[in-house]
Amino acid sequence: MNLQVNIGKLTLKNPVMTASGTFGYGEEFSEFYDLGRLGAVMMKGISLNPMEGNPPPRIFETPCGMLNAIGLQNVGLKRFIEEKLPFIRQYDTKAIANILGNTPADYVKLARALDGAGVDGIELNVSCPNVKKGGIAFCADTKMLGRLIKKVRESLHNAVLIVKLSPSVGDIRPSAKVAEDEGADAISLINTIPGIAVNLETRRPVLANITGGLSGPAIKPVALRMVWDASRTVKIPIIGMGGIMTGRDALEFMLCGATAVAVGTANFIDPLSAVNVVDEIERYMTANNVEDVRELIGSLQT
Amino acid sequence: MIESEASRDFRAEVIGQRSVAPDHHIISLRPLGLSSPPAPRAGQFYLLGTGDGLDPLLKRPLCFFNSDGDTIEFLYRVRGKGTAILSNLQPGSVIPVLGPLGNGYPISARDTDALIVAGGTAVASVYQLILGLGRKARVVYGARGRDDLFMLDEIKSATRELYLSTNDGSVGTQGTVLDVLRTLEIARGTTIYACGPRGLIAGVQAFAEERKLKGWASLEEFMACGIGACMGCVCKTRSGYKRVCKEGPVFPLSEVSL
Repeated sequence: MNLQVNIGKLTLKNPVMTASGTFGYGEEFSEFYDLGRLGAVMMKGISLNPMEGNPPPRIFETPCGMLNAIGLQNVGLKRFIEEKLPFIRQYDTKAIANILGNTPADYVKLARALDGAGVDGIELNVSCPNVKKGGIAFCADTKMLGRLIKKVRESLHNAVLIVKLSPSVGDIRPSAKVAEDEGADAISLINTIPGIAVNLETRRPVLANITGGLSGPAIKPVALRMVWDASRTVKIPIIGMGGIMTGRDALEFMLCGATAVAVGTANFIDPLSAVNVVDEIERYMTANNVEDVRELIGSLQT
Repeated sequence: MIESEASRDFRAEVIGQRSVAPDHHIISLRPLGLSSPPAPRAGQFYLLGTGDGLDPLLKRPLCFFNSDGDTIEFLYRVRGKGTAILSNLQPGSVIPVLGPLGNGYPISARDTDALIVAGGTAVASVYQLILGLGRKARVVYGARGRDDLFMLDEIKSATRELYLSTNDGSVGTQGTVLDVLRTLEIARGTTIYACGPRGLIAGVQAFAEERKLKGWASLEEFMACGIGACMGCVCKTRSGYKRVCKEGPVFPLSEVSL
């Protein structure tokens, strides 16, 4: 039985990754299982300099989901390379760094440094809805997005390039196409959906940042539809995410066109979520005589 | 589910559930599948799941209140959807649990005297601290009224002196814990432990600064992962944002920025 999938030249032992922002750099979850059981770990986004993040409250539960406005708090490039990367390297899993910047030059600097430091992949965060400048601007303008991807592509020698797409653009197909055209190895989608929670008693927003990104089971139908749209637009692999809680959810994404999946919010509900998804995919394959997980990719019958 | 002797990720059976005041309950849980569950320290908390469904999605953080043999107990107030469900769980129900989490109240052998200040339901957080410090500590405990004060007999027998205050004057001093604190003789080197609403903590912090006393405050924030990965539960401190679930929930009193 084969569970291996390829993202560009990268071979993952199985299609299950953990989503950026939900897994730190792996340390906290290493207490609960061997991270080597995962296909890949997508780590918390890194900026050139450390970022403090937003004031609290940063998170709030909503029906079947949650809003987050963490604000990209991270340790910065230097500490990531010195402390966080060596940690994840202890495990037999692929390490994918997620990068964010305010200008294309920021992204290129980050990409070069991380490529040199030996990460297996770089995921471009051009879709984070939580900061006022940078981020959202890139993905909303396909020309700008294209130029950015091209510059980062040219700066990488080893790491695969994944572009993380935002649902806030409405139609995901133009950004998917631009990513493929400019040489991305894969696209990952979806990032969170912008949302608001209101405190009626205080007549104020719950989150200090006012808006936050919605994640969890509530967004799965939206994510599945965007993966399906993207899969009919590009040939490069798609990493699907958005409300995956179980192996069944993961398989639904694969049927819609995802080559791999990322487990995010589920990690907060059960720290073992990601590894349970791996096990459940295996059990499904055994029970349904699926020899190779790749048979399922894009196999939705319409 | 990975079972082991001492995992912090386990399922627990509801052994008992009782109401101790309007909207206030004590739930007793017995961890399942663990031969030696990690022992919680005073000030730590657990994340309690409300079931195996998708809504409510997140677990609820409740401070460790008491243990009785192999059971762990939580004294809590019903505040919303999640705690309402917890309060209706019948004995025999099984829920997912994560814990113990967070740091606990630091206790130094060098501390000569302690003053524990609590507000309302927050006494749950300091209860083990009160029992542990015994006669080395005094307790100042305040609430809105009689119905919001708990475990008074137990606290009275454990501690050196118990001072009560209620806003409505039904028990103890009419007023707040700050009103009581200002009347007390407090020796240099006394450590203050505070847990309660933000206003209480801010007041105790100002008081401690005035009297040049050191201490600790337990905070709370909305939580998702509870283990330090998501950065959702930070509070502001003088040294930047800190995770209530990891660097906390107990912080140096002088550090918190409310």
